[in-house]
Formats: sequence, structure tokens, C-alpha cells
Amino acid sequence: MSEPELSSATAPASLERGYRRLLAFYPAAFRRENEEEILAVLLACAQDGQTRPGLKASADLLKGAARMRLRPPPGQPRTVFAAVRLMWAGAAAELAALITIIVTAGAVRAAVLHAAPAPVPGLPGHLIAVVAVAPIAVGVWLFLAWANSKGRDAARMASAGSFCLLTLGLLDALAQGGAAYAAADMIAVAVLWLVALGAVVLIFVPASSRYYRPPEAVLR
Amino acid sequence: MQEATFLILTALAAGTQHGYGIISDVAEISDGRVKLLAGTLYTALDRLRADGLIGVDREEIVGNRLRRYYRLTPEGEQRLAAEAARLQAHAAAALRRLKLNLAGGAA
Repeated sequence: MSEPELSSATAPASLERGYRRLLAFYPAAFRRENEEEILAVLLACAQDGQTRPGLKASADLLKGAARMRLRPPPGQPRTVFAAVRLMWAGAAAELAALITIIVTAGAVRAAVLHAAPAPVPGLPGHLIAVVAVAPIAVGVWLFLAWANSKGRDAARMASAGSFCLLTLGLLDALAQGGAAYAAADMIAVAVLWLVALGAVVLIFVPASSRYYRPPEAVLR
Repeated sequence: MQEATFLILTALAAGTQHGYGIISDVAEISDGRVKLLAGTLYTALDRLRADGLIGVDREEIVGNRLRRYYRLTPEGEQRLAAEAARLQAHAAAALRRLKLNLAGGAA
């Protein structure tokens, strides 16, 4: 087979920059392993005098990046990968709930003042609690997602612990019934609980367990 | 097995190849019909490596650029042989039936 010499030494810098910008969409582990090699192939496939990535090659690179991002990183079981995705979803849902509360706070206060014009200066107590706790919850979701994707066994335990706290919160909300919580609050809490339940089940199935190392194995 | 995957493994069946070599070889095997693009090639190579069907043979620096050579593993050879046999059986069945049909039509 003929072996054309890679003409990368003469490739314009703008072409290489363009390809690197597209390769930036790939997961970091994949880029570390493959970026320089793919770049060599892309430059070898380039037409003479080409100064920027072609449409077809660009679309193909973006499609590849999307496919790689839907694939678990090397060595990570699908179950752990799915659990980490669920934790991200949990963080996003928590953030969405927080934003909703902040955006609608004015209307809620007006309604409260209207119902009880006397001395109720601020938001109802439980809403203030939610606004204070939600950013922490977002952080916890993100931290657990990160730690679980690294395979820390402590992260698995912390996830189970957080799930227990969330369950207690749900039970507490149920016990108070509709007295303090609107239907929307209850639905939001229930959805978060189901997401957390899914994540916890996924990290404790046997397929996931081989991924989690005991702490001493981490210190090599 | 997808056609691109089958052709990549076929390209490696004769010996080690680097990325650009695989692209040219696949074009040659398929009579110019399949032109692999870099994104498709490297997501396929990544999957094949993870599945243990191919491995990295060696790396070279040519003209300041990394060139990595891939080879088929014994498991990859087995999978390719099985897939080729399957395709051959299907093709043979198709041709046999077409011939029967022709003979029946002529009678």
C-alpha cells in the first residue's frame, strides 16, 4: 500500500487550531490518549492549501465527541456511570428548584402578606430553610458525583448516608402533610428522592462493587 | 458488527497499521465506497481497544507527529473470522436463492 508522507509540517496553524477546538469537546481522558494522533491523521487527510476544518470532518468529530461522552470512561462499570449521571441530574433538579423559589419569592411574599397582613415581614420559614439548604445540596450532589466516578468507597457510604437524610426529610414532609408544603414542593422532593434512590441502588449492585476499592488500595 | 468496525478489523488482519493507513486501506478494501473520517475511526478504535479486539503495537514520531500502530489481538482475529463466516453464509444463501428463482422463472 502506498504510504503518503504526513504533510503536517506544512499545515497552516489555523487548520490545527480549528481541529484542536473541535477535539476540545472530547472527554479529557480520551484527549490525553488520542489528541496528538487524531490531529496527525486529520492534518494528513487535509487538502492542499486547506486553512480550516471542513464541514463533514467537523460534524464527524462532534458526533464522535458526543458518542465518547455517552460512553463510560475506561474501567468504569456502566452502572457507576449511570449513577454519576443521576447525581448530576439531582444537582440540576435541586438548582432548578432553588431558582424557581427565588424567582417566585416576591409572589409568595405578596400572597402571604395578603393572607396574614400582620407581622410577617419575610418568606415563610420553610422556604428560607430551602433557600439556605439548596446550594449546599447542589454541592453535595456534585461532590458525590465526582467522588463516585473516582471509585472512592467512602463516596459510596456518603451517598448512602445522604440518601438516608433525604428520606428522613421526605418522611418529615409527609408527616406535616399539606400544612407547610405545597403540592409542587412535594413533587419536587419526591422526584429528587427517586433520583437519589436510583443512584444509590446503582452504586451498590454487584457490577459496581468491583469498581470501588477499599481506602488502603487507593494509597499505592 | 457495524460495517466500519468490520472493515477496520479487516484492514488490521494483514498486519499492523496506523490511523491514516487504516483510512486508506478501508477505502481500498471497499472500492472507495467507505471513506472513514477521523471522528468515526477513533471512536471505533477506542471501543475496539476497550473490548480487547485490537491493541497498540508501537508508537513512532514522524515529522513531529505521533503515529500509533494498531494490531489485531487473537480475540479480534476470532471475532473477525466469525463475522466473516456469518456474512459469507448469508451471501451464499442470497445467491443460492436468486439462482433458484431464476431457474424457476425460466421453467
